[in-house]
Amino acid sequence: MNTIAEHIADFLKEYPPFDNLTFQELSDIATNIRVLNLEKHAVLFQNNDLLHDSFYVVASGIINLTTIADAEETIINKCHEGDIFGLRPFFAKNNYMMTAKAREESIIYAIPIAVFRPFVANNSDVLNFLLESFATNSRHTKDSVSSNGKMISDTSFYVDQQSEMQYIQSLNYNNSPLTTEANHIVKDVAILMTDSMVDNIIVCEKNRPIGIVTATDLASKIATGRYPITETIDKIMSSPVVTVIENVSLAEAQLLMLKYNVTHLCVTKDGTNKSAVKGIISEHDLIVAQASNPGVLIKEIKRSQLPKDLKQIRDRLSDLIQNSIQKNIPISHISNIVSEINLAIIKRAVELSILDLGSPPARFAWLSIGSQGRKEQLLLTDQDSILIFEDVAPEKYREVKDYFLRLAKRATSILEKVGYEFCPNGHMGSNMLWCKSLTDWTKQYNSWMNTPGENSNDLSSIFFDYEIVFGEPKIEEVIENVIFKNAVNNTLFFDFLGNDALKKNSPLSFFKKFIIEEEGPEKGKFDIKTRALMPLIDGARLLILNSNIKGIKNTYLRFKQLAITDSKNAEIYLSCAEAFLTLSKFRTVEGLKNDDSGQYINLREMSKTDKEKLKNALTPMKDLEELIKSKFQLTQFS
Amino acid sequence: MLDWIKNINKEYPDFWKDYLTKFETKPNRFVVLSTETSGLNPNKDVILSLGAFSVVDDGIIIKDNFEAVLLQYKFLQDNGLSNEFIIESKMLKMPEPDAIEALVNFIGNSILVGHHINFDIEMLNAALERLDCGRLKNEALDVDMMYRKLMDINDKQFSLDDLTEIFKIPKSDRNSSAEDAYKIALLFLKLKSRLGIK
Repeated sequence: MNTIAEHIADFLKEYPPFDNLTFQELSDIATNIRVLNLEKHAVLFQNNDLLHDSFYVVASGIINLTTIADAEETIINKCHEGDIFGLRPFFAKNNYMMTAKAREESIIYAIPIAVFRPFVANNSDVLNFLLESFATNSRHTKDSVSSNGKMISDTSFYVDQQSEMQYIQSLNYNNSPLTTEANHIVKDVAILMTDSMVDNIIVCEKNRPIGIVTATDLASKIATGRYPITETIDKIMSSPVVTVIENVSLAEAQLLMLKYNVTHLCVTKDGTNKSAVKGIISEHDLIVAQASNPGVLIKEIKRSQLPKDLKQIRDRLSDLIQNSIQKNIPISHISNIVSEINLAIIKRAVELSILDLGSPPARFAWLSIGSQGRKEQLLLTDQDSILIFEDVAPEKYREVKDYFLRLAKRATSILEKVGYEFCPNGHMGSNMLWCKSLTDWTKQYNSWMNTPGENSNDLSSIFFDYEIVFGEPKIEEVIENVIFKNAVNNTLFFDFLGNDALKKNSPLSFFKKFIIEEEGPEKGKFDIKTRALMPLIDGARLLILNSNIKGIKNTYLRFKQLAITDSKNAEIYLSCAEAFLTLSKFRTVEGLKNDDSGQYINLREMSKTDKEKLKNALTPMKDLEELIKSKFQLTQFS
Repeated sequence: MLDWIKNINKEYPDFWKDYLTKFETKPNRFVVLSTETSGLNPNKDVILSLGAFSVVDDGIIIKDNFEAVLLQYKFLQDNGLSNEFIIESKMLKMPEPDAIEALVNFIGNSILVGHHINFDIEMLNAALERLDCGRLKNEALDVDMMYRKLMDINDKQFSLDDLTEIFKIPKSDRNSSAEDAYKIALLFLKLKSRLGIK
């Protein structure tokens, strides 16, 4: 006799899948439960944790299920009282794919898998429920929750950068949908649909949509015998139809389908059901549109043969950026897409050069460095790259280096034609200095990091932001390891980088006025790149190298990641991340306006509110500076 | 005062000897304990029912529980009280000696947790004395004390109802030692994590 076990059984029987079990069974299960208390923000399990031997039911409180991708936490689901979660151990052997964290203080029941498994095996309803809730992916969770009561997904996938295109992407859909009239006979309509091999037909009255018949309607209303096949079509149509205007975006179409819980949208001339039918969008069209991501541009890049084709694509990219900015799409999304496309262009340029010169005599890696290495290139800026080739026998060295120099020269000149200017400092693979064998590069990084300052003319921090564009990924790995190995406890190096980051001129004067260029061709303008963006970029790089976090190359994500790792200072990091986005946006808008890199902002053309916004975005820099100073024990004069 | 000298050569019942040997190892679990008594005087009153759960690794183990109603016919009769609730209850019923023995076996060397646990321990010690046993040796934690320590309050005591109110633990309509023990166990988990007790 166990009173509490019975209370718990009483509680469980209210919720699926437990409502399928008898009270005796539930008492047995309840007897084996462990009751846990989670304080607010306590983590029950994390992404990649080993599987627990139990799954969980929320007894009180709220548990958030989240995934962390690219240092961004995304909530997949909130579990309330009676919700089950953590089902992964039932169906899979690999580690948890999400994080369960208490949003408020919660009490949860841990039900051992071993105890529950027999009930699953013997009861198909229970099994189905669990399978369903496990398999439902995040995007459908919302409606399944409302229709089915309690169901929490475990396998939701994080919709990656690729889908960001969908904000801007328009849809291809059927422009000549089948139509019929209200007084037609069901059988004839069905034959018409079958002959045309479609699963839907729009019922019109004077070419205006009044209803729609889909395969589902036929199945549920005709095949069930509720209506005879001699009935007129208006008796079984779904009405009214959800209508949209012609140039609807993918994201919008998706939202409408979810909102109205329909599988088809009718396109009409003015978007209401009072105008002529123009087409029909089915769920299938959405899937096709999503599958064709990350976009037509990349496909075209892969096919293009000449620099001028690439140039055209790059020009279209500028339009894309402009459109996206006007539509207020988050700048982090835009830069993700843009850098993917830039990457594809550079890759293609290298490929085209290889096609011209014949295959390379050794394996190599072409790394983008600087802004493209950080995936932050929005506008046409200069090209920065290095070339690393594998070690070859000494007698071959000259010949091999010669080949790669020619390759790099060719690729960089293609890129120049596309519109990426040569780097004024010569940081390109076509430069003798930056086209070297792996051993030489390792030596180079070693000397940079262990004796910084001795040849300080050479050391530019952009060499610590790199991204492989073409070639052997292993070479990039080797370099990364060299860097991180050297970075451990290397005070000298951090001292150097820290001072480098701090020496940039401050953006605001003592009286909180913008410091503008006093001479030169850009006189009277504000240098947003060196005065505002660079300190943030340098700071993020310095801190991320110092905390030994590999693989995060983007300034925004670096700050986000730092906020997670170094939670003490999370607030500073997060405001820096936001500031970085705001500043990038200012720069991009300015660049688009003048067709340049947007380095200098003309303050006189700015509205007062924009100026305030810009000023606000500059405030977190002070905190970041202080943080770096105290962290690396730097003083202004060291 | 010098009771222990009297007891030094006394022959204890077997279960008590067992109990004493358990203290050679360190405790690895907590036992949350609640008693229902006929009154507040350890010498005159008796335990009417017992409820206990174990807490291991920040979780209440529902299976590892102890519940019993004690058959105190003699006491009830002497005091002219009704024994109806005992007859009607579906719970496990035991005479006092059996129940105490079972409880002692259940708690072993665990750290005891309760609300005003010292009183529960006094009641148990009185019952143990009737069985010619010594006093309980377990360490004990009081949730009221824990809460006062957490909040740094010295001049006030909190009843179990007050505490469940403060921590928003759902009230149940039924009232028994097991019920109370479960509530105390939840309180204990919450206080434990806040105070950082391992």
